[in-house]
Amino acid sequence: MKTWLIFPWLILAAVAQAAPDGKALYEKHCSACHQTQGHGGIGLPLTAEILSQISDDYIAKTIRNGRPGRIMPSFQTLSDAQVGAILKYIRSWSDQPPPKFPPLTKKGDAKRGRDLYAKYCQRCHGEDGSGEGSGTGVTLSREREFMVMPAALNNPGFQRSASDAMIADIIRRGRKVGGMPAFRHKLSEQQIADVVAWVRHLKPPAPIRGNSEWAGKAAYVMESPYSFEETVENLKQALTGANFRIFPARYLDQGLTDEFSVNKRQIGIRFCNFKELYHLLNIDPRLGTVLPCRINVMERNGKVILVAPNVMEIFRLFNNRELLEVAKVMEDVILGVMEEATL
Amino acid sequence: MKKLSMLLLCLVAFAARAQQNLLMVRTQLEAPEAMAVLKETVQEYGYTVAHVQRCDGGMSQFHYKTDYYRVLFFGKLAEARGILKHYPQMAPFIPLKIAVIAEKNETVLAAVDPRSLGRLYGHDPVLRVQFARWYNDLKSILEELRTFKPKS
Repeated sequence: MKTWLIFPWLILAAVAQAAPDGKALYEKHCSACHQTQGHGGIGLPLTAEILSQISDDYIAKTIRNGRPGRIMPSFQTLSDAQVGAILKYIRSWSDQPPPKFPPLTKKGDAKRGRDLYAKYCQRCHGEDGSGEGSGTGVTLSREREFMVMPAALNNPGFQRSASDAMIADIIRRGRKVGGMPAFRHKLSEQQIADVVAWVRHLKPPAPIRGNSEWAGKAAYVMESPYSFEETVENLKQALTGANFRIFPARYLDQGLTDEFSVNKRQIGIRFCNFKELYHLLNIDPRLGTVLPCRINVMERNGKVILVAPNVMEIFRLFNNRELLEVAKVMEDVILGVMEEATL
Repeated sequence: MKKLSMLLLCLVAFAARAQQNLLMVRTQLEAPEAMAVLKETVQEYGYTVAHVQRCDGGMSQFHYKTDYYRVLFFGKLAEARGILKHYPQMAPFIPLKIAVIAEKNETVLAAVDPRSLGRLYGHDPVLRVQFARWYNDLKSILEELRTFKPKS
């Protein structure tokens, strides 16, 4: 009797495994950035117009490969069936079938393609193919009318996801949604093949590295030769000198206990430059997950130490190269402030 | 038994690991309501709300155009003190935080995946368990917000 009862459950479990729910998977993994119905937000929009121009293979490979340094993570742990279910769900928003790109009929020459690329493509896609325009998505960075930036053609994720045939189609027909003109009347099939060959030569930019002394560490830690109070005062002065606005300091356990029980020898000096903050949030609106800027002063075993987050390592978590470029500058500023306060 | 449960906690947390360093969800609640529900939810998980950073207020004050953008800080006193005592270099990550970002009439909630900090702490075994615990809590809290249906 008991065995008989288990059977339906086993069958149900097998069915559930065999047919993943695309809507549920999309809402779990994609909707935070691409919005519930694909209208775009932190991530690019997936409107019917855009979907009509990208193949299933491109979407599936993009889910798998992501875009290193361009926010979109890679989802390599999703099964083929799960990726397929997401794809099917995304396609359900549009009544147009996925495009099929005719294969290139000519063999391209990268050398000739380089000159054509410089003449027709470089202005928007950049000399090295890194794309153009700052920020991401349409939340803070741009108005919704301009939804798609010129693609980073040198991105390894793009290179692995886009077929030669698809790149050629984009060159031929353009992309209205991103403002890319059609080149079918300007370029011959041979020239289009040449440009595609050059696009395949584009290499990703060199990785951005921070101060080698602090590489791989979560925090900058410096010992102060001054008393706790003097160190706090020095730090505030150094921050003011670096054009930061200082907020009321908070003890590290403040708010977690009553005001009489807080540890007053562990304090966070909070600071901000709103112009920089606005600039950073435009590059990546998710940055609030590591805000606010704070340098902590802590007394330990008779010593006073300063502890600040290692911005290079923390910003690296965002998979956003543009953010790392700013982090490199910020690292110098924060280390400079900490050194000044402990000199 | 305790060791076994910690091992299981780590296994569950790390088996589910994706290639993302941030935990993010979208809720159909408007931002102020999302913040209110978030505050209630973190407390249901045994955390205390430490404070709310009003980034939008600061930016507006300086005439920068911004929508609702706030950060909720929360933690557990004993846990925070224990970590700060043994790992002062963890100070930048105490208390925990979740950013609440308005997107028109929906809201995105985001937090750093604590497991992604493991690499920066030399995969310290004690912190590894702590990161796994935080991950499980943050993931559950955010999932509650994602699936929250307002009473109409």
